[in-house]
Amino acid sequence: MSLLEVKNVTKAFGSLVAVRNVSLTVEPGELRAVIGPNGAGKTTFFNLISGLFAPTEGAILFAGQDITGLVPHRRVALGMARTFQITEIFPELSVAENVRIGVEVAGGYRLRAWLRRAEDKAIKERVAEILALTNLAGKADRIVGELSHGDQRAAEISMALTLKPRILLLDEPTAGMGDQETYEVTSLIRRLHREQGYTIVLIEHDMRVVFNLADLIMVLDQGTVLAQGTPQEIAANEAVQAAYLGKAA
Amino acid sequence: MKLRLDIAAIWLVLLTAPFWLPLVHGYEALGTRVLVLGLAAMSLNFLLGFTGVLSFGHAAYFGLGAYGAGLTLKLLAPSTPLAILLGMLLGTLAGAALGALIARRRGVYFAMVTIAFGQVFYFIAFRWNALTGGDDGLRGFSRQPVDLGIFTLDILNNLTLFYYFVLACFALATGIMAFLLRSPFGRTLLAIRENERRARFLGIPVEQHIWLSFVISCAFMSMAGTLYALLNNFADPKGLHYTQSGDFVIMAVLGGMRSFWGPLLGAAVFVVLQDYLSSVTTNWQSLIGLMFVVVVLFFPRGLLGFLQRKSQA
Amino acid sequence: MTQLILYNTFNGLIIGAFYVLMALGLSLILNLSGVINFAHGGFLAVGGYLAYTLAPHIGFWGALVVAPALTACLGIAIERTLIRRLYGRDPLYSLLLTFGLAFIFEDMTRAIWGAQGLPFTPPSFLTQPISLDFFFVTYYRLFMMAVVGIVVLGLFLFLRHTRLGVRIRAGTLDLETVSALGVNVRALRTMNFAVGIFLAGLAGVLAGGNLSLEPTMGANVLMPSFVAIIVGGVGSLPGTLFGGLLIGVASGLTTVWFPSASEAVIYVIMAVVLLVRPRGLMGEEGVMS
Repeated sequence: MSLLEVKNVTKAFGSLVAVRNVSLTVEPGELRAVIGPNGAGKTTFFNLISGLFAPTEGAILFAGQDITGLVPHRRVALGMARTFQITEIFPELSVAENVRIGVEVAGGYRLRAWLRRAEDKAIKERVAEILALTNLAGKADRIVGELSHGDQRAAEISMALTLKPRILLLDEPTAGMGDQETYEVTSLIRRLHREQGYTIVLIEHDMRVVFNLADLIMVLDQGTVLAQGTPQEIAANEAVQAAYLGKAA
Repeated sequence: MKLRLDIAAIWLVLLTAPFWLPLVHGYEALGTRVLVLGLAAMSLNFLLGFTGVLSFGHAAYFGLGAYGAGLTLKLLAPSTPLAILLGMLLGTLAGAALGALIARRRGVYFAMVTIAFGQVFYFIAFRWNALTGGDDGLRGFSRQPVDLGIFTLDILNNLTLFYYFVLACFALATGIMAFLLRSPFGRTLLAIRENERRARFLGIPVEQHIWLSFVISCAFMSMAGTLYALLNNFADPKGLHYTQSGDFVIMAVLGGMRSFWGPLLGAAVFVVLQDYLSSVTTNWQSLIGLMFVVVVLFFPRGLLGFLQRKSQA
Repeated sequence: MTQLILYNTFNGLIIGAFYVLMALGLSLILNLSGVINFAHGGFLAVGGYLAYTLAPHIGFWGALVVAPALTACLGIAIERTLIRRLYGRDPLYSLLLTFGLAFIFEDMTRAIWGAQGLPFTPPSFLTQPISLDFFFVTYYRLFMMAVVGIVVLGLFLFLRHTRLGVRIRAGTLDLETVSALGVNVRALRTMNFAVGIFLAGLAGVLAGGNLSLEPTMGANVLMPSFVAIIVGGVGSLPGTLFGGLLIGVASGLTTVWFPSASEAVIYVIMAVVLLVRPRGLMGEEGVMS
């Protein structure tokens, strides 16, 4: 069974059609990249999948379940984790606190007024585990708002991981980053995909990242699917080249 | 370690207040007043500073607590604990109802609605003369000595004893609030304050948690109200007015919204300032208004925030 | 009975017109700049008092125009020196600022003009009562309604057909785009604020002619103005207009059967609206939520 099935979704804002008849199927363990020129509707597409708003037409299934009408926090509970183009973190708290909150919610502790010692220990261990995976262990007590862009992104991804997600949706994870930071974030994503086996869908502009990571690529242009295929196929696709050359990427 | 020292110092000051207050030209009732209003400001801050939700009509619950306590003593039974309990019940239930109605709104709209609803209660207290005494306020009751079986606490006549009674209630209330804020639940509130969207995408049902924070805040706010009525043996409709709400907010901001004890400091400064200014000039209202302006423009992080910044520099 | 109902409905319309005048100004400021102007009532009082001071020199009609204009200038000064600094910040701060300003206004008007109610008499031909068959009303009250009607019409025309007006409307919907198109957003906010305050000042002059002038006169109209905005729908000016008239008329009508509940009914309406249609009667989903 496919993990994520997006079936012919369309999203219209009044007379503006942002996404038109787009379908996508993601199998467990895949890394799918969604690319396209600016304004192609990529983030709107993500917003539909993660539940920020409902599609005007079409359906979305997650692990076989129809989630088209579900609100975001329910989709999160089903195992859908997401990061945003502009990093969404808890700026005035430390890295460890950021991650801890995620761990506590995922563990079902969000309404608890106190923790048993064993529970507290388990939570701390899980936080350490995640921070080790994302290479932030050394910065656990730093205030996350003061960290570099790349580290903030890693912190955000750490938070997504606390949910033990079945799928990770990453919206332009390397947005606004220099070469070194891009390299670090790309390595992290590769580790999560190859070593940890996460299913990942990511929106990206940086072609090096896309060709480095993706199993399959979907190209959106003006809200519709222009092409889908392996990196080699997409690189050779003339329509895709035209779309990119015709606009500022 | 440093944190413990701060808290120890605060409690030392509070515990010995009846002794040093007269030395600084203070008086006992002033100390009690600061405690009560400080509790109110801290309760509001549970919602405002720690959950990041702006309620500007919170005095309504303070006032409901006051009237609830007064009416209990006047009409039901000469029991102080019952008065506190019923006053709290009234305020908390009203808060729960209103909170449910508006949990989906945010920002200025939320603030507007809380103000408007707060005014409803003011208006009821003002108009329902027969029950509430109208503009003159609710009189004809007084705090009753508390019978603990072995002995009686004469909080009616012994002001020092009453101060310690209030301090005990204060300790209980702030203890619970501090405890909650340090818990996983408390951390979800911080999360909501820091970044509501991220909180939602971690799976936190934001509206539900905001409602809970609102109710907890109202509970302790109304407790403060009951204590205020007991202090004055009087309940004032002005305690329900949005100007009172504004006072509580400025206390929290003045002291420091991000700090647990900030609002208490803010309350102390505000009360002392207001007392002093109103005895010195008839235009004290302008000066208080000016203080609002100055705090907002130059000390948005409050006194404690300001001091923190200086110590880090 | 019909006489009573008509009379009170008419009264309700007048009260409603007042709420509308205040609420529209509040709404303009709220929609464009996200500021709840607690000092709006203070500006109303200032407008009234200025008219009182100016009338002996430039007459009632002169004061009717000049006092609101001067009040608007005061508004511009305050917006530029104080409020402007808080736009990017948490709405908490602008709320507290205007709150503090309200205190200062009330106290200062009391200090300058005294705490006693001051009489502000409009020209005598306006104070003549019209004895119609069914009820008593003075020309002045008709005059007030007429002024409000003209002003509201003028405002809607302004917003639709003048450059500044169109920019304000556009700015309310999407300030970033408006800014990207080269409009000076800071000046826009200031002018918008000035328009809002002009309306408040005008309300003050009209109110002064109806009742006497007091330092607290604005405070009584402020809350109902909030309710008008909430009922009509935040973000919708027609909604505010409708909301103001609705609660005014409801208030007037309630006086017929339950005189003491006439103020309460506006809050009851607000509660019902919030329960049944939280975005307001004419509000849009997603605005300010």
